[in-house]
Amino acid sequence: MSQFVQEFMAEVKAKNPNEPEFHQAVQEVAESVALVYERHPEYRRAKILERIVEPERVIMFRVPWTDDRGEIRINRGYRVQMNSAIGPYKGGLRFHPSVNLGILKFLAFEQVFKNSLTSLPMGGAKGGSDFDPKGKSDAEVMRFCQAFMNELFRHIGADTDVPAGDIGVGGREIGFLFGQYKKLMNCFTGVLTGKGINWGGSLIRPEATGYGAVYFAAEMLATRGQTLEGKVCLVSGSGNVAQYTVEKILDMGGKAVTLSDSDGYIYDEAGIDREKLEFVKELKNIRRGRIKEYAEKYPGVVYTPVDPNLPYNPLWNHKADCAFPSATQNEINAIDAQNLVRNGVYCVAEGANMPTHIDGVRIFLDAGILYGPGKAANAGGVAVSGLEMAQNSMRMPWQREEVDARLQIIMKNIHKTCKVTAERYNVPGNYVVGANIGGFIKVADAMMDQGIV
Amino acid sequence: MVRKPFKDVLTHFDPSWIEHGYGTRFQGFQNLMRQRIRDILLVSSLYDLYVFEEDGRLYELLREEYQKLMLSHAPEFTRVSSGREALSLIKEEKRFDLILISLHIEDMNATTFAKMVRESGLDIPVVLLAYDNRELADLLRRQEATVFDRVFMWQGDFRLLIAIIKTLEDQLNVDHDTRIVGIQSIIFIEDNVRFYSTFLPIMYLELLTQAQRLISEGINLSHKNLRTRARPKILHATTYEEAWDYFKKYQEHILGVISDVDFPRQGKYDAQAGLMFAENVLARRADVPILLQSNLPENEPLARALGASFLLKTSPNLAEELRSFMAESFSFGDFIFRTPDGRIVGRAQDLISLEEQIKVVPEESLRYHAERNHFSNWLRARTEFWLAHKLRPRKVSDFASMEELRQDLIRSLREYRRLCQRGIVTDFNKDTFDPNTSFARIGGGSLGGKARGLAFVNILINNYNVQNFWPNVTIDVPAALAIGTDVFDEFLEENNLRSFALSCDNDEEICRRFLLASRFPERILGDLAAFLDLMHAPLAVRSSSLLEDSQYHPFAGVYHTYMIPNNHPDPIVRLGQLLRAIKRVYASTFFQAPKEYIKATSYRLEEEKMAVVIQKLVGSQHGDRFYPAFSGVARSYNFYPVGPQKPSEGVASVALGLGKMIVEGGTSVRFSPAHPDHLPQFATITDTLHNSQRDFYALSLAEDQYHSGVEDLQIKRFDIRVAEQDGVLGFLASTYSPENDCIYDGISREGRRLVTFAPILKDKIFPLPQIIELLLDMGSWGMGTPVEIEFAADMCRKPYEFGLLQLRPFVLNRELEELTLEEVPEDELLISSNSVLGHGVMNDIYDIVVVDRDLFERSRSRQTAQEISRLNAELLADHRPYLLIALGRLGTLDPWLGIPVTWDQICGARAIVETDFKDMPVSPSQGSHFFHNLTSFSVGYFSINGRDALGKIDWEWLNSQQPALQLNTVKLLRFDSPLTIKINGRENRGYILKPKRVDP
Repeated sequence: MSQFVQEFMAEVKAKNPNEPEFHQAVQEVAESVALVYERHPEYRRAKILERIVEPERVIMFRVPWTDDRGEIRINRGYRVQMNSAIGPYKGGLRFHPSVNLGILKFLAFEQVFKNSLTSLPMGGAKGGSDFDPKGKSDAEVMRFCQAFMNELFRHIGADTDVPAGDIGVGGREIGFLFGQYKKLMNCFTGVLTGKGINWGGSLIRPEATGYGAVYFAAEMLATRGQTLEGKVCLVSGSGNVAQYTVEKILDMGGKAVTLSDSDGYIYDEAGIDREKLEFVKELKNIRRGRIKEYAEKYPGVVYTPVDPNLPYNPLWNHKADCAFPSATQNEINAIDAQNLVRNGVYCVAEGANMPTHIDGVRIFLDAGILYGPGKAANAGGVAVSGLEMAQNSMRMPWQREEVDARLQIIMKNIHKTCKVTAERYNVPGNYVVGANIGGFIKVADAMMDQGIV
Repeated sequence: MVRKPFKDVLTHFDPSWIEHGYGTRFQGFQNLMRQRIRDILLVSSLYDLYVFEEDGRLYELLREEYQKLMLSHAPEFTRVSSGREALSLIKEEKRFDLILISLHIEDMNATTFAKMVRESGLDIPVVLLAYDNRELADLLRRQEATVFDRVFMWQGDFRLLIAIIKTLEDQLNVDHDTRIVGIQSIIFIEDNVRFYSTFLPIMYLELLTQAQRLISEGINLSHKNLRTRARPKILHATTYEEAWDYFKKYQEHILGVISDVDFPRQGKYDAQAGLMFAENVLARRADVPILLQSNLPENEPLARALGASFLLKTSPNLAEELRSFMAESFSFGDFIFRTPDGRIVGRAQDLISLEEQIKVVPEESLRYHAERNHFSNWLRARTEFWLAHKLRPRKVSDFASMEELRQDLIRSLREYRRLCQRGIVTDFNKDTFDPNTSFARIGGGSLGGKARGLAFVNILINNYNVQNFWPNVTIDVPAALAIGTDVFDEFLEENNLRSFALSCDNDEEICRRFLLASRFPERILGDLAAFLDLMHAPLAVRSSSLLEDSQYHPFAGVYHTYMIPNNHPDPIVRLGQLLRAIKRVYASTFFQAPKEYIKATSYRLEEEKMAVVIQKLVGSQHGDRFYPAFSGVARSYNFYPVGPQKPSEGVASVALGLGKMIVEGGTSVRFSPAHPDHLPQFATITDTLHNSQRDFYALSLAEDQYHSGVEDLQIKRFDIRVAEQDGVLGFLASTYSPENDCIYDGISREGRRLVTFAPILKDKIFPLPQIIELLLDMGSWGMGTPVEIEFAADMCRKPYEFGLLQLRPFVLNRELEELTLEEVPEDELLISSNSVLGHGVMNDIYDIVVVDRDLFERSRSRQTAQEISRLNAELLADHRPYLLIALGRLGTLDPWLGIPVTWDQICGARAIVETDFKDMPVSPSQGSHFFHNLTSFSVGYFSINGRDALGKIDWEWLNSQQPALQLNTVKLLRFDSPLTIKINGRENRGYILKPKRVDP
């Protein structure tokens, strides 16, 4: 760790005691942009890093509400408006008993760079409350949401801060929050994203992450003059992300051969075609069954149950060209990464959040394969939030195709940012560095442009 | 919130009906004649005794007579001959209900003795039993007799003793019994000792014989016995004022008056007192039959003029005339239809023949009897109070025509007969069995636990009129036929199966042999065939074993239930299918699971006997499937309360389709009936998708194929979308729209269907929480213990049907009731907490997986999760359940706040403890991430955090133990003796004791 980073971190820790999550996030950014700082003394002079770790505004407020038995409950509400250099604050609201200021600062900080990377005009923020939706009635959730908005409304707006959902805040909560905002402001604007389709929501939300990961992979392949056509792809998971990943792979002529759930995985050498994909969608979304049934339905498919004693995941040990980890965190460890490389996989696009352990990432980078980190490759979800804002501002909803086309453009832009930045910083093809620095630079430059504010 | 007792909930009842027991029909009979004379102290000289029992058989005769009249409890006599002896005995033993004294006792005279009894404050009636001599005459003249409660004259008939006992009992019980069922009374006015000593035995004999006649109409044996208690009472008065008090008090319930003409009024003899009494009574109730009796024939025309009957006391046929008056006027005996001119046009012996006669007798006769309340009087005398009470207020003038009245009477009689069957286990009779509501039995022996529970709840439901409490729902116990345990015994004996079954350890083989057994008791076959003749709906054949639902060892779910479509056109085939199902249930008595289970109890399998309940299945047919909209179980206690729920508010689990889903621990909706809006398992969208039902069970109506296996092949699993096509899902479902990331209640929008019960629990289309609350309350009140109920509901027809399938005591471990920490020595305590979920005692855990508090780092919680997962897998493979002690929120979505394990990674833990981090407190998850799994697998869950002053964990001890295996941040501790884990789920408290040190 450079001396600058050390000194900087010491100060951050002193100023923000008891926020270890925040410290770790800041440290990661500081380390990855150390290189940038060397090249850009103007950033140092403008104290960009010191400014960027200080939220532009933190709102902490009382949320009193009445439960079904008439008892008064008091929760604490927050909105951490971290950075608005490139656009109105944008970031989720989380309702969960674990919510506290430290966690929200950490999440808001990460959000700044995620949003920046999408190339859409969105600043970074995060908010929420320590309210626990567990065991609450619909009426209680509604009263809480209204009470929460009774304060929050004065701090947000379509051009100021546009919250979205997160843990504990789904379509229902967004509805209650939006209703109360509209009542208080007497104004129907796109102040929240994640709205119902009928009242300002965008299409392609469930598909966005999976589609986006495949678009990103296609862009990476294009740098080597290749397409997904005919490529054999390993896909993990079987939820939304995995399903739409397979769907887009099919659209682009590739062949997905695996899917998994927490019990095991299937390997279908013949490839998961559209009919089989429909079966998976029904199996997983409607019947909510186990992926094992896929192997029971289709002959020639091998099902392998999870073996907890195995030090690696056999799903990643098949001959293939591309891999789309779309299940959970840390599903690719060092052995898996080695297996992938050894089996000829040369393109990995992360649909899940941080699916590859840091040791695995190093192996990918050393092997020089196309590795699209989640930060960049799974930005499709955030991107569609941005597109929802755009549609709201235009007061014009787009068709699926239009949203999908724009998503593809955004993924292209993200890829371009990563690629160009990596090249500029002498690590061509290193999308990790590209993503980390690319997101930062855009915000830093905007802050430079806007003066000391 | 404190719930109201269920009786307060039943507000739309006419309270007087509950009070008077009309609403309860003969159920109130159990409570009649509660005060009885059982122990009698006879104080008499030997000589007097000799006079009383000339032939020496007094007691024997008395007992015989009691038996003959089917009276329970012939009293016990104790005789002493001195007053002093008597007094000390009374004081010492305090068991006597009556003191009978003769004029001669050894050490004092009878009046002195009576005074001494009074003065010593003893509240025991003292009755003087004298024989006709001058001494008695003197005593009466001197008016010293008032010190006795009664004076009787012995005339050589031992039945006088019965009369004495019964008059006293009547006096003791009249108040209560009139209030409970509106029992009827006869006022008997007679001041002459000799006369009433003669009359009372005759009157009682007549009453008791009448009661005996009614017994033959009883529906079952216990009902028959109960009816004898409902006979009319005799209120004996010796003065005008006493009699008038009785009349005023029980006016509505006076069956008749039998009175002397001259007796004291206003303190002196009044030669016309009886006439005046009759006149006053008739002025208030013209329909009361009155018999006046006198020594003077000239009183006869006076009596007749008033409309009373007359009896000459000197008549040689006195007894016979008295009896015939009672039979006729008090409606004892047959109902005799007359025309106004006295012509007899019909006669009815019982309710059925009454109905037959009403259909045909001429209108004038009908009018004659109706105008005089003869029908209700006759019914009352026959103890049909409920019906009598219903008919009484109807006036002839209420009806447009006599024909209308006739039809109304017929309708009421039929309705009443149907009602009598309801809620009662009748002996099966194909003529009276109602395939919708009846509960009958065939075969002797016990009905078993399940049938007993069902019969009991059936009575509760019917007595408290719960059936139609909610306008759109009928609550019932589906019609059922129980086969007594004798049939099981016979079947085993005749087919020589017992010793084979006891020794065989192969379930399939037992099942096969039982199915092959060809001898089934003949008479049962006939009844079963007759039953199937009436019953065409699908049937559930359920086990009802002797030990099932025993208070201390619940055998619930140990034995099998089989279902049959019962739809084959050939009745022989249907009978065959039913018999196979019965044999399967019989066979299941001897399967391995019950054999294992019974080992753990104090019983022996040889003691177990199986009754069978064949019950109409609740539900509707959809194509070739048959299933209820939903089934469920509910318990008085909720051991996993969340949010506003309290343990004592109970909990229910419900699922679409047959109850097999719940019994097998499948996905169901769990809710507290007091908080139906709060469904913790559906807190988030992910939770809802994860924790809602995907498929359901239904009975296949396709041909019942013969097979010899144990499994019930008729029950099949279907996707919930099938229920949508069947039109059932809409009652229970919500819809998830992925585009909107939102769950909408009901199925009007497009998206994925989820069984959430929202239309019922939130939109209240079915009063399920209210019904469950009421039934749990009623059940626990009735059984005197917490209860568990099983139910199923059909919503395809209105009114909806809610069928109660089971009521059983809910066993709470008594040991845990007194769970206190005080008794535990400090150094033995490993963990204690006041925030514990679950219930029970565990003492088979030898392993602890504990996260090292000093080595754990929040930033590396994912690795810790992996390590726990690894140990879990190893312990699972070795079949070693363990205690997991973790830090922070277990299963957290945010890895900084705890250990982000999934359920699969900790599924071998039988008990889980979550505690604070070393450096910071964190609000505990209280198991919310695995809630469904915790409840399904009854895992104990302890939360310990800084805010709980009583929560404790002995880290020092944990750290000092040598680990069997040490990973980076997690270690495994293994012990030679088990931990003791105790959880009191009623109070959410619990503790864990360290393993006992094993001495080398």
